[in-house]
Amino acid sequence: MKKIINNPENYLKEMLEGIYIAHQDQVTCVNDDLQCYVTKNKTPGKVGISTGGGSGHLPLFLGYVGDGMLDGCAVGDVFQSPSAEQMFEITKDIDQGAGVLYIYGNYNGDIFNFDMATEMADFEENIQVTTVLGADDVASAGPSAPGEKSTRRGVAGIFFVYKCAGAAAAKMYDLETVTRIAQKAADNVRTMGVALSACVVPRVGKAGFSIEENEMEIGMGIHGETGIRRGQLESADQITEEMMQQILADLPYVEGDEVAVLVNGLGATPLDEQYIVTRKIDAILKEKGIKAYRYYVGEYATALEMSGVSISLLKVDEELKPLIDYPVNTPFFKQM
Amino acid sequence: MLQDMKRYLEVVANIMQENKDTLIEMDQIVGDGDLGLTMSDGFRAAYLAVKDTDEQDLGKLVYAGGKAMASAVPSTMGTLMASGLMQAGKDLRNQNELTNENWVQFFDSFEAGVINRGKANVGEKTFIDGIDPAVQVLKENIELPLAQLASKASKAARQGYEQTATMIAKHGRAATRGEASRDLLDPGAYVAVLLFEAFEISVKG
Repeated sequence: MKKIINNPENYLKEMLEGIYIAHQDQVTCVNDDLQCYVTKNKTPGKVGISTGGGSGHLPLFLGYVGDGMLDGCAVGDVFQSPSAEQMFEITKDIDQGAGVLYIYGNYNGDIFNFDMATEMADFEENIQVTTVLGADDVASAGPSAPGEKSTRRGVAGIFFVYKCAGAAAAKMYDLETVTRIAQKAADNVRTMGVALSACVVPRVGKAGFSIEENEMEIGMGIHGETGIRRGQLESADQITEEMMQQILADLPYVEGDEVAVLVNGLGATPLDEQYIVTRKIDAILKEKGIKAYRYYVGEYATALEMSGVSISLLKVDEELKPLIDYPVNTPFFKQM
Repeated sequence: MLQDMKRYLEVVANIMQENKDTLIEMDQIVGDGDLGLTMSDGFRAAYLAVKDTDEQDLGKLVYAGGKAMASAVPSTMGTLMASGLMQAGKDLRNQNELTNENWVQFFDSFEAGVINRGKANVGEKTFIDGIDPAVQVLKENIELPLAQLASKASKAARQGYEQTATMIAKHGRAATRGEASRDLLDPGAYVAVLLFEAFEISVKG
């Protein structure tokens, strides 16, 4: 393990302390619990949106709390769910009388705790809470049958769900509408990633798996979950081609569609390489007759020091486009 | 007397503590090895939350214990057990003594809370395979003196647990082993055995 840290036991606390110092004008915590992260800027009557999940993925999840996106985030230890009580405390804090929407990734620990928080909000405070899950990782499982719960993991594509839902809430739409829009974004986003190296959980101190110097794993999850294929490292164009083929076929995205594109670095891959991938994505989209409505390139959902990239596509329509364009100002993400 | 529920939760906390290493060892084979810590820390937190309370509503007392557990151990199994306590708390609201009916309700609701959260069914090699046979026995023998009832339920939980060595895991990390999981005893079901052993001990006085 080679990290700039102090005692690994204090990793979460010290990281959060730094964030609250740097961004004290925009964010604060509830009841002095650093793990209950909320915006300082509340709008009466607006639907509150909360997320949550384990640490180790910055700017996911808390980085999207701010104007035009989310209102709160329950922060767990590295790759661990936060508690239901923390989610509930945030829910009480961000509820502005219009109810609260939970948006988070499709992981059992998070689901159990958010479901419990939903019951607490209903039973103890009578706050209406709805839920939309991010389950965009094409590589993690097959598509679910209609009406069946998805078994796919949530990865970087949740950014688009936050973006659309956050804008809808900022436009003062009601809980039912914001929830419907969030679900629509979640239903129309697909992601696939490739990992070139492993990541190390600070308190564990060593990698949970290994990838040889000349190898890559297509479809690896953001906690190092097994992907769909491990093989020799290929060129940027070949890797992009393989991932795009799987993504495009899955929804499917077809000629005439418009998509928002997210090229996401997993933590240790330079922006340079992310742009090399972006260039190839654009060539593939043009060839397929799919229009790229907007590109986002950079680190949006990482896995500690893992190297690799993921590609997410969101199919947009006339309802989602203005929501994608809506301005955002959070400490970690700004859009004019 | 609500004192009986406090005493029960104390015995549970102690028995989880005593079995911490056993649970860790069992969980290291099929899971990630933190079950012993989760159960011991979690049920201790539940007991400490209710130990000194003046609360006279049985449901609210149990619910508070569940909430404390959920905060202390937000892992999968921790949240499942907390959900059991919280459901029991909800269903026992406005009750203020521990009749046989309310004890049966406690375990029945505990099971329902865990099923509702975890979506596991009987026969899928989980905690449910330990608690379900015991709850059935409780319901069928509700007229028995409490000590006898608890002893019968405890035996049923243990038999249910032993049956898990014939099942294929469908949930959690154990499920990735498929057929290879069959011969292993389920640590979650063992937690159910401990909950009923604690019941047996606590009502003996």
